[in-house]
Amino acid sequence: MKTLLIGEYRDGKLLESTYELLGFADQLGAESALLLVGSDSQLPAYPGTIYLADAATCGEYNPDLHKQLILDAVQQENPDYIVFLHSSYGWDLAPRVAASLKAAQISEIIAAADGSFEVGCCNAKMRRSVKPNTATTVLTVQAGAFPVLQPGGSPTVKKLTGTGSGALEFIGYEPADKKDVDLGKAEIIVTAGRGIGKKDNVPVILALAKALGGELGASRPVVDAGWVEHSHQVGTTGQTVSPKLYVACGVSGAIQHLAGMKKSDFILAINKDKDAPIGEVADVLVVADVMQFVPALTAKLAR
Amino acid sequence: MKLLVCIKQVPDLESRFKPNTEGVWYNETDLAFRMNEYDEYAVEQAVQLREKLGDGTELTVLSIGPDRVVEAIKKSLAMGCDNAVHVQDSAASSKDPWQISSIISAYVKDKGFDIIFTGMQSQDRGSAQVGVTVAEQLGMACTTTIIGFEYDNGTVTAKRELEGGIKAAVKLKTPALVTCQLGLNTPRYPTLPNIMKAKKKEITAIAVGDLLKEAALATTTSFHPPAKKGGGIVLEGDVGELVDKVIALLKDKTAVLR
Amino acid sequence: MEVTRQIYWNIGHGVVIPMYILAFAAFGVMGWGFWQRLPIWRQGKALNRFDRYDERVKRMLSEVFSQSKIFRVTDGGIFHSIFFWSFLVLFAGTMLVMIQADFFTPVLNVNLLSGEFYKGFSLILDIAGILALVMLAGLFIRRFIIKPKGLEIVKDDYIVLQLLFAILITGFLIEGARMAATEMQQNPALAAFSPGGLLAGQLFATMSSGTQLVAHKILWWLHFALVLGFFCAIPYTKLRHILTTSANAFLAPFEPKGAIATINMEDDTVEQFGAAAITDLTWKDIFDADACTSCKRCQDRCPAATTDKPLSPMKIVKQIGELAEGNPTGNLIETVSQDALWSCTTCRACQDVCPANIEHVNKILEMRRNLTLMEGAFPGDEVKTAVNNIEVNGNPFGLAYAARGDWAEGLELKTMEQDSDVDILYFVGCYASFDRRNQAIARNFVTICNAAGIKVGILGKEEKCCGEPVRKLGNEYLYQMTAAENIELIKAYNVKKIVATCPHCFNTLARDYKDLGLDVPVEHYSTYINDLLDANRLKLTPEPFSYTYHDSCYLGRYMDIIDQPRAILSQAGGAIREMDKNGYDSFCCSAGGGRIIAEEKLGSKISEVRIKMATDTGAPLLISNCPFCLTMFEDGIKTGGAEGQLQVRDLAEIVAERIAS
Repeated sequence: MKTLLIGEYRDGKLLESTYELLGFADQLGAESALLLVGSDSQLPAYPGTIYLADAATCGEYNPDLHKQLILDAVQQENPDYIVFLHSSYGWDLAPRVAASLKAAQISEIIAAADGSFEVGCCNAKMRRSVKPNTATTVLTVQAGAFPVLQPGGSPTVKKLTGTGSGALEFIGYEPADKKDVDLGKAEIIVTAGRGIGKKDNVPVILALAKALGGELGASRPVVDAGWVEHSHQVGTTGQTVSPKLYVACGVSGAIQHLAGMKKSDFILAINKDKDAPIGEVADVLVVADVMQFVPALTAKLAR
Repeated sequence: MKLLVCIKQVPDLESRFKPNTEGVWYNETDLAFRMNEYDEYAVEQAVQLREKLGDGTELTVLSIGPDRVVEAIKKSLAMGCDNAVHVQDSAASSKDPWQISSIISAYVKDKGFDIIFTGMQSQDRGSAQVGVTVAEQLGMACTTTIIGFEYDNGTVTAKRELEGGIKAAVKLKTPALVTCQLGLNTPRYPTLPNIMKAKKKEITAIAVGDLLKEAALATTTSFHPPAKKGGGIVLEGDVGELVDKVIALLKDKTAVLR
Repeated sequence: MEVTRQIYWNIGHGVVIPMYILAFAAFGVMGWGFWQRLPIWRQGKALNRFDRYDERVKRMLSEVFSQSKIFRVTDGGIFHSIFFWSFLVLFAGTMLVMIQADFFTPVLNVNLLSGEFYKGFSLILDIAGILALVMLAGLFIRRFIIKPKGLEIVKDDYIVLQLLFAILITGFLIEGARMAATEMQQNPALAAFSPGGLLAGQLFATMSSGTQLVAHKILWWLHFALVLGFFCAIPYTKLRHILTTSANAFLAPFEPKGAIATINMEDDTVEQFGAAAITDLTWKDIFDADACTSCKRCQDRCPAATTDKPLSPMKIVKQIGELAEGNPTGNLIETVSQDALWSCTTCRACQDVCPANIEHVNKILEMRRNLTLMEGAFPGDEVKTAVNNIEVNGNPFGLAYAARGDWAEGLELKTMEQDSDVDILYFVGCYASFDRRNQAIARNFVTICNAAGIKVGILGKEEKCCGEPVRKLGNEYLYQMTAAENIELIKAYNVKKIVATCPHCFNTLARDYKDLGLDVPVEHYSTYINDLLDANRLKLTPEPFSYTYHDSCYLGRYMDIIDQPRAILSQAGGAIREMDKNGYDSFCCSAGGGRIIAEEKLGSKISEVRIKMATDTGAPLLISNCPFCLTMFEDGIKTGGAEGQLQVRDLAEIVAERIAS
């Protein structure tokens, strides 16, 4: 089984998530080649073939050209699977490659076995098993679903060249809004989810965070509703965190949020729904009304 | 100018899902349906553009599915779309993203749409493929996950939302397709006069067989709830007792409490 | 000297014709003043308030002469009532003199105003005049010296008070001058029957006869001029309330309290919904501004106004009047402001206490209809979400509709789908179905019914939100859609009787749904249980408890259900400690008017104010019978720091615990 793994490079740096692709290939027990539109000064330590195009000339976000480069490599490698990360780069690029090849695409894979792939659906509440019907298949892999693999070694580099930007013109990046809190460094995070009910209840969650000596986190709906500032958002479009203790209050556990925190050492979830997807990753799920349990816990901790 | 917005009707995500008899998708009994949340932003953006461009612009909304999707179509018409296309398919959920894209592309081909709006993904299947695939099939410029949209004289300027809150600005020339992310705008609540006007707007029905000529490229073999994780402890009961249990667990399993 | 009075003494009968001419002229001016106001009122839409003529007249005469609505609030009310009656007596007296002079004497040659009758007549009129002066002085002191909070002083107040004082004082002065020149000298025994005149007469007693006559004449003409001035001033000043406020007692609606116009959704030609300009309101809405005397009783009782929200019902009534007169095309909603409009809880305290029968609430609802239906506006994003949830899942929480009947698990309760042959359909409502605290009430109610041998059915997952909160927020469309679905089911199941535990569902199904085709008797569980107790179908074993009781707005003011819950609680063993604001004076919990789905962002928390009223009674238990009130009070107890001091429970819980086994 052969895989062509599409690595990611942004703002002049190789993204760590690229190594998850290696972990995925490893789990599949497949051979791999890597493709990267990046820089030869930022290559992963990897003993296989890297198809390398220069980001300086090809651009970091240039899907039409990147698609061409990938198709080039596909011609040479003839892989069974072309694997992307399910990221803003991957989900934008993968369908283009798949359509050009008329290959099946299976998105946001969380597990794989025997040619069948498991994906989440219905807001992470359910699962689907999908089998491709085509010889070549495009896959995108959920962030954090597969372990990072850093095999070490030196890659064999095959240069790819290409020009043009197709129909798109990349203007530039805009930095994220200034963060007044770096959740990435926090050891304890207590997150407010939509289940807290209303903005007035945020101080209750904050009180627990303080009682534990931690930081306040927020799920996306809570930030969108204006209850907490964006700098506290945990999830794919917020911050990815891995604290020692993560307390999810009234967080249902949508995939995008889980992806941002499931690497935490110990996850305590409080939710009135016993079947909430957060239960999937929680070490302890307390089935209770957040606004009853959290103040009680805070009070007990204060003693 | 001709604009198109593609929408999908999905079940309300608060529902409890059970597999259907074939075991490959959800059973529709007892499910409440609504427009895919991402598509609401797409419709709103399309309507805003249509309002800005004024006379001479036509905005069509398209949806594939059984009769119940007409409700979502009507909502889009009430928000401001001019007319609609309902691709009648009682088994829409059994089609894979390639087929769905092919249906849309078959309709769109030669109609001369300048801009197509879609949601970034659907809340039920969530494969995030259809929008981009349609663009590829039709050779349209395309970008995804937009949280900012501007149009001026043949050029779309979009802002993409990347991980970590970073944004990327991109320009594309029409004909273009954009997939919309949550937070792109604030979808309007339809006013009553618009709801009433919508009742008179045309909904063209097309049988899916007239448009679909493609086989599925992938097959769903099973739809099931996730396997119960062995390691997790579920605690229920009196709040006071729960608090004590949790503190004991935190002391035991983490170094957080002393 | 005879025991009588020489009418036109010192003035002469030659004055009669000019007097009548001038009087007619003054009435002409008065009529003209009102005539000019007609086009202002007519800017509003048509509305028939002239049907059932006899009943209206009866009601108007009864309210005006009894002044019952005026002295309901004693501050200022007692003074006004007594002043009114006194002035009425004086007016009647003057009329009697006129009839005597121009009819009895010339035509019938009869002198009514003589002898014992005249003595009584003099005394009564004098007392009335003195009372009027004293009351007027009291009102003056209240407005200008005590200065109650929120009572504005405007130019009209100066004019009216001065005019009335002048009329009353000159009246006594004339009498005094006359008596000084006649009775006081000629028939002192008679003079005693005019104590006021006697007192005023002291001023003239020492004057020469000639001076007295001149003074009398001047004062007479002065008084006459002032009175004519009074009539002329009526349409142009606050005095117009004599006619307009009285008229409002005639024009008041006969519809049940809380009735709102049901928009005809089938009418394609309607392009404007709700009120954005004063021309969208009815002529009665504009007339209300003229009937308003700015007494501020509505404002004093408004839960929003008293917690520093920008809403004042009185102000809105006045603003409508100002726009109608000065800027009819002006933007009504901008003038009133959205914040004010959304703050209303439709508690009806304003309308309930208004002595002028002004209809505050529906004006606000019409403007909300404009905001919602024409602009898609909401008081907040949380409301938009809740409304969307009602559209998708039939409840504001966004919980799966299929779980709506789950609260009944373990209760052996069948849904109508399974068995529709029931005694009553229990319309559960969104809160009792989905909110944990309120599910207890639903279960308790069913337990009570079971004990009484009543077969209960529920719609379960087929039940949808009754639509009341969204209707009150202005969304008539969504209300009618959800209502239609409920009505179709209720009809299909051939329901004979409906009982609701939520007063909002109760009001909506009992009254509003009639417009949409439902005609099934609907009761609130408080009167239903009361009837079961009276019929001995339900027996309670009383267990003593001390409590205070909150009259929910939608039960008390809207439906006059005040005694029955108390009767039940008394039978249950309760000893009540009433709050000051109880019964019709009850103070809202803040969740009415659709606000249950909104966040309270402005001013201070209304629920905390009510909780304080409850704790002030010293009772450890607060009992209510509305899911909104229960929810707000549970909240208010926590945020208001009354935890441990006060517990709030529902009537159903108290009763269910005491069912005799």
